Amino acid sequence: MSNNKSLIYWILGGVVGLGLIVWLAVAIAGEGAVDETVAFGEVTVEGDALPFFESGAADPAVGLTAPTLTGEDLDGEEITIGPDGTAKIVVMLAHWCPHCQAEVPLIQNWVESGGLPDGVDLYGATVLTNRVRDGDTWPPQEWLAEEGWSSPTIKDDQSQSIVAAYGMTSTPTYMVLGPNNENLGRLAGEIGVDGLNFLAGLAEESLES
Amino acid sequence: MSSNAVFIYSTILALLALVALLAAAGLLVYRLIRGVEAGVLLGEKAIWLAWIVALVATVGSLIYSEIVHFEPCRLCWFQRIAMYPLALVLLVGAIRRDFQVKIYALPLALIGLGISIYHYIIQRFPNLESGACDPDNPCSAILVDIFGFISIPFMAGAGFIVIAVLLGFYVNKNSIEQKASVQ
Repeated sequence: MSNNKSLIYWILGGVVGLGLIVWLAVAIAGEGAVDETVAFGEVTVEGDALPFFESGAADPAVGLTAPTLTGEDLDGEEITIGPDGTAKIVVMLAHWCPHCQAEVPLIQNWVESGGLPDGVDLYGATVLTNRVRDGDTWPPQEWLAEEGWSSPTIKDDQSQSIVAAYGMTSTPTYMVLGPNNENLGRLAGEIGVDGLNFLAGLAEESLES
Repeated sequence: MSSNAVFIYSTILALLALVALLAAAGLLVYRLIRGVEAGVLLGEKAIWLAWIVALVATVGSLIYSEIVHFEPCRLCWFQRIAMYPLALVLLVGAIRRDFQVKIYALPLALIGLGISIYHYIIQRFPNLESGACDPDNPCSAILVDIFGFISIPFMAGAGFIVIAVLLGFYVNKNSIEQKASVQ
């Protein structure tokens, strides 16, 4: 008798548990599709893509002219990263990447504390955007706004045109561009303030030469 | 979290993981106090409970990948390799009332636990893996973060722990009682 009672409890528990899982699965599957496009922009690439840059290896594209990118910034306004006579540091950020998440506040503090030399601009690029990988930091423009990000930033498209154009293979990737949009060097990973100062120095030198 | 339903789903799994860990801790304390006789507490229920944990973990991870569309990373796959067979091995062991099943199941649970711990550490300290994110699918990315500390490897690790503890409790009740009566 007690065994039968115990069996009934087990069966009831199993049915309730299974029902809960099925209900949640149906709820998840049935939720309306999210408009993914808000996190991406239209990107136009002019010029040849740079060779891919592997983290930890020497940059094979130093001296090559980077392609000019035209697209949308975080507010949907047009933005161009190209030869405009200024030196630039471009940082490519993936919202789901913990290294980017760690680096963004550090970069912002560095900018706010005057780390960026005169004549050198800092640009961001949101790349590899993927809502499923981290819904908390999606869309990336909201994540960056929460971090107080103030640098002009271009959104990559769903075809990852910026990733291909700049030859990026990991995030974050930094690239220093001279006044004629020549690539002065790329670095990948968390580089900290010392790395930022190094890149800023590289960019500043290109203005002097 | 990408949606309310996914958040609720993850929160339920996170709560189950916490309950499982508390239960495992309680069972271990009971085992320390009662010694070998503690096995009488659950008897054959231990293997069925262990199977339910493996089943929930298996179905739970499949829902994440097949319905929520999370991409399992390399370490996630290693943990799946340890957990999925448990859902079958434990069921067969339970049906056959095979007390030797722990010989096959325990190594899987312990190896899985080791991988879960490593994965959890990598998530919290991503620089231990590398200084940059692999665009393909880095193991350091945190797809689920409930209560600020419960991620998928945490839940998997809790599952492996409770399965291992329950296997320790899966002993032949009759033989224990016989031993006790002889003494």
